[in-house]
Amino acid sequence: MTFGDFQAVKDTSFDLPKGKFLTILGPSGSGKTTLLRLIAGFEKPTVGEIFINGQPVNAVPPYKRAIGMVFQKLALFPHMTAAENVAFPLKMRRHDARNIGKQVERYLELVKLGGYGTRRIHELSGGQQQRVAIARALVFEPDLLLLDEPLAALDVKLREEMQLEFRRIQKELGVTTINVTHDQREALVVSDEIIIMNDGAIQQKAQPVRAYRAPENPFVAHFIGVTNFIEAVAVSANGSTVTLTCKGRELVGVLAAGSAGLAQAARCTCAIRAEQVRIAPSQDRLGKLETQVRGQVNDAIFEGERIVYEIKVAELGDVLMKVFDHDPVGHLQFGPGDIVHLGWNAKDLHVFAK
Amino acid sequence: MSGSRSKSVVIWAFVLAAIAMLSAPTIVVLGASFTAGNMIEFPPQGFSLKWYSAILSATDLRDAFFRSVYVAALNTIIAIPIGTLAGIALAKYKVRLENTIQVYLLLPFTIPLIGSGIGLMLVFGNAGALGQLWPVAIACCVINLPFMIWAVTASASNLSNDLELAAANCGAPPVQTFLYITLPAVLPGVITGSLLMFILGLNEFLVSLLLVDARSVTLPVQIYNSIRSIITPDLAAISVVFIVCAGVAVTLLDRLVGLDIFLKSK
Repeated sequence: MTFGDFQAVKDTSFDLPKGKFLTILGPSGSGKTTLLRLIAGFEKPTVGEIFINGQPVNAVPPYKRAIGMVFQKLALFPHMTAAENVAFPLKMRRHDARNIGKQVERYLELVKLGGYGTRRIHELSGGQQQRVAIARALVFEPDLLLLDEPLAALDVKLREEMQLEFRRIQKELGVTTINVTHDQREALVVSDEIIIMNDGAIQQKAQPVRAYRAPENPFVAHFIGVTNFIEAVAVSANGSTVTLTCKGRELVGVLAAGSAGLAQAARCTCAIRAEQVRIAPSQDRLGKLETQVRGQVNDAIFEGERIVYEIKVAELGDVLMKVFDHDPVGHLQFGPGDIVHLGWNAKDLHVFAK
Repeated sequence: MSGSRSKSVVIWAFVLAAIAMLSAPTIVVLGASFTAGNMIEFPPQGFSLKWYSAILSATDLRDAFFRSVYVAALNTIIAIPIGTLAGIALAKYKVRLENTIQVYLLLPFTIPLIGSGIGLMLVFGNAGALGQLWPVAIACCVINLPFMIWAVTASASNLSNDLELAAANCGAPPVQTFLYITLPAVLPGVITGSLLMFILGLNEFLVSLLLVDARSVTLPVQIYNSIRSIITPDLAAISVVFIVCAGVAVTLLDRLVGLDIFLKSK
């Protein structure tokens, strides 16, 4: 998909089985909304073809596609009541007028808005408006439901509530869903499958756990979760286990699925999640963790359920590592300047070839 | 404390002066229309409704009044589709030469009315249409159309692009989208613009003066003609009727959509 000289979406190909909940995750400008608009039919692809239920749809105008969509700003019709909004797709799709009332009532019940049908849109709260938008997108039983970051504007509590609500409704109706978001938490919570996009291209497609546990490239590792990166040089490889060296310090890690093979002395990027690094006041408290380094606390941020430490590790070239800790037993907290010991297991260090 | 007090005194004095200035002409005409005497004067001599009964039987004034209503109505009917579509287009789409069009729309204001009036007189004169009422309506429409367009643009620019996409997504083809979604969304602007067009059409004087003949005078021209011969209080009475008509239109506007939508527009 090209706008002028700018390629918004390129080389993007994926398929989605019926009934699945897919999330397209990416930073703003990664092309995820363009992709959604292509599927909805608001834009025409410059090259390539989109199939819905096995049928090519490039030539089908948006109003003839059986796709329900919840817009980022909801786009509810302000001059209609909640029920009229939900009835609109049925009227436009020429459903039998006698059944429209019943169908609308059923979907308002589904989104827990039974009895709110006569309210005007501006008389509803933000969460209720969300629910009307969902009902309007689903009422005509579309083949596909598109969600264009509809939760982005909500406050945290309501957002988390609505995430679970999307999940519940999607499971209940079994409607194939494509959700677009930049919120990694939402992607992990609601999806069967996640596509991570950047620069208009798919970076990885995987189930949430796999996307988190086994990122295929540094971008995915960086975008989901809090990740530390260490630059190193490969020394030897044994299967997927790689031995590397960083500033003369030996490291062992696992080659990521996306990286084919490593040449001798190849430069690599290693990634490790902040929660997979243990922090302790002395080396003996780290137990059998395979890699252990010494560092100095640069900063300690108390976040309630956890403390985020920023540790300067001299032996890895003064790299700043983020480490999560909450010490559930001792409530121990380190302060800036404290010398600490860090440790992790080799299987948690992902190695990406450059 | 005394500083803020004297400040508020000054502000109130300004406000009262402004209100007095704005309402003085109306009050004078209103007062003069109820005079019992035979001269138009303020304060009036005594109180009577005789000049109102006089205009009821004065067929020339009454006919002129209905001609003005006809002109105002026709000019509004022409302006509604043109102004609505133009307003939506200017607000929603990247129109080529948009700035040029905006300036062009301002032309009727910037060119002295007498100039455009003479132009229109020549055009309709060549077409042999002078002396009829429809050229007056068209002339009013041409001159006042920017009001209509601005009113529509004001409500159309609040219209989110997503709304029409949402309608398409709901299965509405373009025509239905326009009828069920776009039009209702800009309706406040259309109502505002229409009522303004109606009032302006009702009041139009200078251009009417150039385009009408003795058989087709509109009310403002009729009043002007009468003033030149003899000033009697029936002119004040018909002016009051006139003011009431405009007042009703403005009240209607306020009730239907609120005046703020027009005051907020560019």
